[in-house]
Amino acid sequence: MLEGVIENRAEEVPFAGILTDLLKTNLAQNPGKQSVFRKMGGTAAIDLADIETAVTLVFAGGRLRIEAGIVGKPDLVIRTASDLVTDLNLLRIVGGLPWYFDEAGRRVVAHLLTGRLKIEGLFSHPLLLTRLTKIMSVM
Amino acid sequence: MAKHQAMTQEWLDAWKEKIAGSKEYKEIAKGWEGSVSIIVNPDPDKGIPEPLYLFTDYWHGDVKDFLICDKAKAESAKFIMSGDYARWKQVARKEIDSTKALMQGKLKLKGDLTYIVRNIKSVNKVIDLLCEIETVWPDEA
Repeated sequence: MLEGVIENRAEEVPFAGILTDLLKTNLAQNPGKQSVFRKMGGTAAIDLADIETAVTLVFAGGRLRIEAGIVGKPDLVIRTASDLVTDLNLLRIVGGLPWYFDEAGRRVVAHLLTGRLKIEGLFSHPLLLTRLTKIMSVM
Repeated sequence: MAKHQAMTQEWLDAWKEKIAGSKEYKEIAKGWEGSVSIIVNPDPDKGIPEPLYLFTDYWHGDVKDFLICDKAKAESAKFIMSGDYARWKQVARKEIDSTKALMQGKLKLKGDLTYIVRNIKSVNKVIDLLCEIETVWPDEA
């Protein structure tokens, strides 16, 4: 069912391979995340400056294409460090929304407040961010 | 503190003892079950002429087998991590973060990544405890 829905066009970028594996496994294990995934539209980039790696996720028509680098003008750009990005995967979803009031959530808020995590498009594309958080969360 | 030759059975024994003695590990690894193999790619210039296979096994805060093993045993583990000797040395010396090394492709992982991420605190604790071992490295001996 998930065959071919995630296309990794950034095979030369190890982080893209990790992201592809993680999303494929997460979607396969969680039918609820599959329905969120199918509704997604827009582009989100993840920029890990400390390892000079960036990828752009293009969601359209129930599919995802992962491109190397920041391509075009993404709706969301998540800038953080490679050792902090997994904190985003640990956010729990409560009542359909990311939960910022447990240990993992507070850590993400702290990263935002200290500038170690920056999200461009946070206020202009909240739905895409929420859906991205849902499909990325392993909790 | 006694020094241990890296990537030998006595080194694994010392690591296992460290983990078994850690109350913090016991607490945070309650949910972890399954084995992790470490494959060290050969590097003859650094004193590693053949690949090395290390097998470690964890069970809800306890530790089971920690063995130098053969390829078949290593490949039977729930998770298989592989990388060059120099990278493993950097990880064990805390010179590089293992998550960062994975994202850079310096280490490779086979297994359910979502499980690893869910249990990242256990993974980091095990590595922290490894870093506490006084180690003699083959290319420095």
